[in-house]
Amino acid sequence: MSIQKSKILDFGFLVFTAVTAFSVIIISAGIFLVLFKESLPAMNRFGFEEFIFSTEWDPVQEVFGALPALTGTLITAFLALLLATPIAIGIAIFITEIAPPFLKGIIGTSIELLAAIPSIIYGMWGLFTLAPIMSQYIEPFFQSTIGKVPLIGKLFEGTPLGVDLFTASIILSIMIIPFTASLARDSFNLTPAVLKESAYAMGATKWEVVKDVVMPYSKLGVLGGVGLSLGRALGETMAVAFVLGNLNQIPKSLFEAAATVTVKLANEFTEADKDIYLSSLYYLAFLLFIMSFAILAIAKAFLVRAEKR
Amino acid sequence: MIMKRRKILSGIALFVCFLTALWGIFWLFFIIIDVLRHGITAINPALFLNDPAPPGEQGGGLRNAFVGHLMITICATLIGVPVGVLGGTFLAEYGRKYKISKVISTLADIMVSVPAIIVGAFVYAVIVKPLGHFSGWAGAVSLGIIMIPTVLRTTENMLSLIPWTLREAAFALGAPYYKVIIQVVYRGAATGILTGIILAIARVTGEAAPLLFTSFNNTFFSLNMNEPIASLTVTIFQYAMGPYEDWHTQAWGASLMITVFILLATITGRLLIKRRYKD
Repeated sequence: MSIQKSKILDFGFLVFTAVTAFSVIIISAGIFLVLFKESLPAMNRFGFEEFIFSTEWDPVQEVFGALPALTGTLITAFLALLLATPIAIGIAIFITEIAPPFLKGIIGTSIELLAAIPSIIYGMWGLFTLAPIMSQYIEPFFQSTIGKVPLIGKLFEGTPLGVDLFTASIILSIMIIPFTASLARDSFNLTPAVLKESAYAMGATKWEVVKDVVMPYSKLGVLGGVGLSLGRALGETMAVAFVLGNLNQIPKSLFEAAATVTVKLANEFTEADKDIYLSSLYYLAFLLFIMSFAILAIAKAFLVRAEKR
Repeated sequence: MIMKRRKILSGIALFVCFLTALWGIFWLFFIIIDVLRHGITAINPALFLNDPAPPGEQGGGLRNAFVGHLMITICATLIGVPVGVLGGTFLAEYGRKYKISKVISTLADIMVSVPAIIVGAFVYAVIVKPLGHFSGWAGAVSLGIIMIPTVLRTTENMLSLIPWTLREAAFALGAPYYKVIIQVVYRGAATGILTGIILAIARVTGEAAPLLFTSFNNTFFSLNMNEPIASLTVTIFQYAMGPYEDWHTQAWGASLMITVFILLATITGRLLIKRRYKD
């Protein structure tokens, strides 16, 4: 084996690995370009604003608008975030500050397993187990309590069927808890021990240390974690497809069926018989890709800055 | 007096944190027990050995979906793992000093969380549409694409953990870089890379969305990856949404098998990592 030959082999391996590494860029750019190209016919026909603010979705008349799907996506994602974030932060505090070592492992693993359960299982369980419970007990309870309050009560109007925005958001919230929790835990762990110790030395209680030392210090990281979870919630398909119906309307209350971008894609993609129909679905996919990519990129930037401190 | 109030407040707040942890665990057990309860009734030899009966008729099984799912997952692994491992190698070794490696790393991190259904739509446009038909290969490619970023990032992290002095020792013996990577670095990081691969496989096993319009579905037993092929996840979606009690039962059975596989794989991965860092 001459030096020459091993140099050539080495260079070959370098090129080979470089090509595979660059495939990530190629795939990302490819997804962007392909989705853009496929949605061009719809873009030309409907434009941007008209598509986003139109509520029509009529394959027969060939009129397509994205507003119901976009609102459905945003409402479920933000509601899930609202439910999941406090819980996830609580879990992170429990694991980092309170739990005895043996509990740390058990709880940490359990929360990670929650992330491992696939979307379709959440959907199946949501449809057959959670939705009936929601419609029989939980939703009527909400209607008879909070539902009586003026203004807010409007959110809880309608027939409690269990197949609605509320159930979908609850399932989504369970799904994103692990992501927020694990990133919050990591950023809590970045807090220098010296800071905590000095607070204890001043006579602070444990909760005060968490609230006034750990939380402010790890704000960036937690925000990044929340952003990442939001990006995930936007793109969740199967879990929502089971329990949201696929109803093209702007929901007026939390107890109504709706549609999200992903549910629309899952249900209608293989039925799109006309080019403009398929192109409109691609337009939806393109908008979703841009949204989730932007949110994830911002979240990532937060996390990087949090680590740099 | 004020001290007492602060102590009580602290106790209450910490107790609430404990409750949140219970909340998370409660859902995990609720879901697992529920899938077990429903799924166990569906598990019998027929489920694995028979092909589906015509819609509405009793009996039948999911042999086609089990085999199809296995084939798609294996092919996806063959596509995703080599690309991911080699790409991660570039980022951690040859490309260490270039800015572009940082960019690729960050991009891969973002791609890990990009909606899976988007990948399905992408593959539909580049493979299914030009060929004019759904195929098992298209499904495998979408799952492979989903695997790449995950495997790439874990490989990169694991290789970065190998101390630089190890490589230098090998260099001092006159070994070229590629030999150092293959014989020293890979050997040291093997467990970590394997864990990454296991977790990536576990993740794509449960994917349904990208398969909906790539591998589609097939009610017949098929080993041909150039045709539409049944998969467990798509079948679960179809059966659960369907009107027949029998379909629901079989969907639960399939769900149970997938859940058990994924939980076992995830726990195995975690144990491997644990053992690795205890030594």
